Amino acid sequence: MADIAAHTKSAASQSEAATQDANAAAIAAFEKRNRMGPFMWLPIIWLCIVIALALFAPLLGLLPADEMDFMALKAAPGAADGHLLGTDHLGRDLFSRVIYGGRVSLTVGFAAPAIGVGLGLILGMAAGYYRGWIDDVVGIAIDTWLAIPGLVILLLFAVVFGGSLFMVCLSLGLLFIPTAARITRAATMKYAGREFVLAARAMGASDRRILVKEILPNVIWPLIAFVLIDIPIAIVVEGALSFLGLSVKAPTPSWGGIIAEGREHLESSPHIALIPTAVMFLTVLSFNLVGDTIRRRMSDVREGAI
Amino acid sequence: MRFLLRRFQRLVIVMAAVTFVTFILVNVLPGDVAYEMAGMDASEAEVAEIREEIGLNRPLPIRYLEWVGGVFTGDWGRSFINEEDVWHAITQRFPVSIELMLLAQVMALALAVPMGMISAYRPDSRADRIIAGVAFASVSMPSFMTGLLLIYFFSLTLGWLPATGYEPLSAGLWANLKPMILPALSLALVEWTVLMRTLRAEMIGVLQEDYISLARAKGMSNARILWGHALRPSSFTMLTILGLQVARLMGGTIIIEQIFGIPGVGRLLIHAVYTRDFIVIQGCVTFFALAFVLVNFAVDIAYAWLDPRVRQGGKAHG
Amino acid sequence: MGEIILDVVNQRTAFPTKRGMLQAVNGVNLTLERGRTLGVVGESGSGKSVLARSIMGLLPRAAQTGPGSSVHLNGRDLTALSERELRPIRGREVSTVFQDPMTALNPTLTVGAQLIEGLRHHLGMPKRAARARAIELLRSVGLPQPETRVDQFPHQLSGGMRQRVAIAIAISCEPDLLIADEPTTALDVTVQAEILDLLQRQVRERNMAMILITHDMGVVAVRCDDVAVMYAGRIVEQAPVRELFQRTRMPYTAALLSSIPRITDGPHRRLDAIGGRPPDLIHPPAGCAFAPRCKFASDPCQGVMPALEGDERHRFACHTPLQVEAVA
Ligand SMILES: Nc1ncnc2c1ncn2[C@@H]1O[C@H](COP(=O)(O)OP(=O)(O)OP(=O)(O)O)[C@@H](O)[C@H]1O
Ligand SMILES: [Mg+2]
Repeated sequence: MADIAAHTKSAASQSEAATQDANAAAIAAFEKRNRMGPFMWLPIIWLCIVIALALFAPLLGLLPADEMDFMALKAAPGAADGHLLGTDHLGRDLFSRVIYGGRVSLTVGFAAPAIGVGLGLILGMAAGYYRGWIDDVVGIAIDTWLAIPGLVILLLFAVVFGGSLFMVCLSLGLLFIPTAARITRAATMKYAGREFVLAARAMGASDRRILVKEILPNVIWPLIAFVLIDIPIAIVVEGALSFLGLSVKAPTPSWGGIIAEGREHLESSPHIALIPTAVMFLTVLSFNLVGDTIRRRMSDVREGAI
Repeated sequence: MRFLLRRFQRLVIVMAAVTFVTFILVNVLPGDVAYEMAGMDASEAEVAEIREEIGLNRPLPIRYLEWVGGVFTGDWGRSFINEEDVWHAITQRFPVSIELMLLAQVMALALAVPMGMISAYRPDSRADRIIAGVAFASVSMPSFMTGLLLIYFFSLTLGWLPATGYEPLSAGLWANLKPMILPALSLALVEWTVLMRTLRAEMIGVLQEDYISLARAKGMSNARILWGHALRPSSFTMLTILGLQVARLMGGTIIIEQIFGIPGVGRLLIHAVYTRDFIVIQGCVTFFALAFVLVNFAVDIAYAWLDPRVRQGGKAHG
Repeated sequence: MGEIILDVVNQRTAFPTKRGMLQAVNGVNLTLERGRTLGVVGESGSGKSVLARSIMGLLPRAAQTGPGSSVHLNGRDLTALSERELRPIRGREVSTVFQDPMTALNPTLTVGAQLIEGLRHHLGMPKRAARARAIELLRSVGLPQPETRVDQFPHQLSGGMRQRVAIAIAISCEPDLLIADEPTTALDVTVQAEILDLLQRQVRERNMAMILITHDMGVVAVRCDDVAVMYAGRIVEQAPVRELFQRTRMPYTAALLSSIPRITDGPHRRLDAIGGRPPDLIHPPAGCAFAPRCKFASDPCQGVMPALEGDERHRFACHTPLQVEAVA
């Protein structure tokens, strides 16, 4: 028995030194998880390039997106002079078309979630703050909205309102209302009962003032994270719509539209469909990666603050 | 039983609202159906005649009630374009869409369940991270792009599977399935990621439960613990998502049926949209909504089957 | 001396955390003979459950077992075995009963299914025979109407009945060692005694060895043969029950003993009678971990870790042990 005790003792002092290292290693392992890797900065670089090209497209001296070059129909990338990424079946320069198409996708990508989350914010705050019949009406409206597949709603709107960029942004934005409204409603209800709101009301602040000054700053944060998820979704859905020819009207190029046109020539000239596919994929992927990282950071920060 | 009743009540309210909204959108907003039908260079008189003929001159509420009444009795109207009975047109094409969606969900589950398990078994391991990366790429690729790529590789390049077409089941099971594989896969490759992530998240929690430790303490193999003990209590949320996904999937089938030339309800709707065949659009939208609400109803029942506690009338997570 | 079933040598178990390594079990030595029951007592967080899980090899993946730790069960070193090699041993040679019967049974499987799978896996019983055996086992643990209960789900049983089921599962394959981790803490006082009786009877009838983890010195006094007192991941005093109660040496044990609940106390009273806080397991004090709370503490207590010393029967880790009359 005595030697077991001795054994224990020597092991204990031996482990003393090892403890320091083990501690450092354990802490390092936890920190490593939060480091920013290539999956953060590569997407950011890509997005910067795409956004800059789309933004400054008219200043870049590109070929007009709808100018047909009959000397180079369906030219593969690099095959015809002056057409970096080749041309489509009408001899239009794919590089210009993809960049100009990006303007449509990115506009919708930013505008639609902003519209949807904005409207959802107003509805959710009204429902969560006033409750009663407003809450009921908003609730039923949201359920109804959710009961129709999103793309069907968009088709319906496309038929009824036609395909202007504004209408596309608006109708796509409507799709983002339900979730945004639900999140806001829950958060509003949480804060409406808090002391600082009750205090403001006791001091005679109007409902509008309470909503804007006291509640809005608190409920807006979760929604920002939400917008980040919505951007790539909006781009994808716009792509689907324009693929079906129900987004902005031709000849305005859009990624989905170019892909749809390229589909007809997939066998002979796959590059017409595959190039915009690759660009759109990388863009959506980048938005997803960046959004995910930022969202994780934000929740870390909030956890840390508690 | 009580909760089924409550669900049913909600179902009715939502359906009333859906039909109403659809009706309003199609009938009140710009773009008069009669003009569409009469054609570009029709005279006012011709347009008026068409209005009279299809009953557009009568008051809106009456027309709505008539139409809703028709919906219940199976009279969904007739196409303005080719006179086809809308109900018949939909029900004839519906099984095709159902097959596509079912196949897609089965494929999505077949991908999601094993992948979710592998991820949940060792979170943050190399396998988990690879799966998460693949899932990220997968959701970033909308189904119409996936469909196109699948056609490019498997039909045009390799020539293994047909790019378009549809064969009825009467032509034989394989003949029927063969052209369905790529379209279903296009849908599944988007849908599986959500299922996988939900399963992973829930299973990570379940694997820390005492009863999993107990199963390990009993000497059960990992496979048995994952499939026999952990899968069921981990799949509640995934099942709900599976139901909710049907909405997205229905949107997805519209585009996929179009790409792969599959004669389902989605293709009917798109065709009606292109030809501005409003009564068919109205019918399809109502049908999609109805189907969706019913699917969610079914999900609730499946929930009760999965969790014996719900069966007893208690709450799911008590 | 009976046949030695369990021999734990220098068991150390640590968890990596954000603040550093948390040393939950820190050099524990134990031996257990067939037919005997060892009580393990200590405050919440003293490492009892982690010790139990270390013996079973059921630690979370992140946990690290120290070098030089070994767990010999029936003469075989479990720490040297792979997960696959452990499978025929778990449930067959060592099994366990958890604290909370609400969470220890799978809510989505019937009682029977959870019992039968072990019988089929370890004893290779055919389905029918396993089911009959399951019903028999349920009867032997005192579950009323075992024929109908066998097809019920855990939520249809009361807490006490669930714990009986858990015990039936644990003994189903006739293990040599049973580890019961606070098997009655989550139960009503009225059923606690019944469950402990049941455990004690099963251990005796089947000639098993048992480790009974508890907060309750009263339970130890009546149900155990030997006691090990744990503090901050170490055993600080170990002796046969009678010896420990009559000749307590370690001030911490004395404090635990003085906190034996009386009938007048509430049912879920914990060992909070000792003043001060349990030590930080990530940055433990250099000397005796109990010193900051000990009224007998002297200088060496602060600076030097006392070793677990004494004779074969009674060992304790203390620089300033309580005085007792010499054994006659
Ligand atoms: N998975 C884990 N990760 C990190 N620390 C853990 C883990 N499991 C246990 N611990 C820590 O190990 C220490 C010992 O825990 P343990 O559960 O063994 O205590 P206990 O003596 O069983 O207490 P109780 O009487 O409350 O059951 C505690 O400080 C606990 O926080
Ligand atoms: Mg414990």
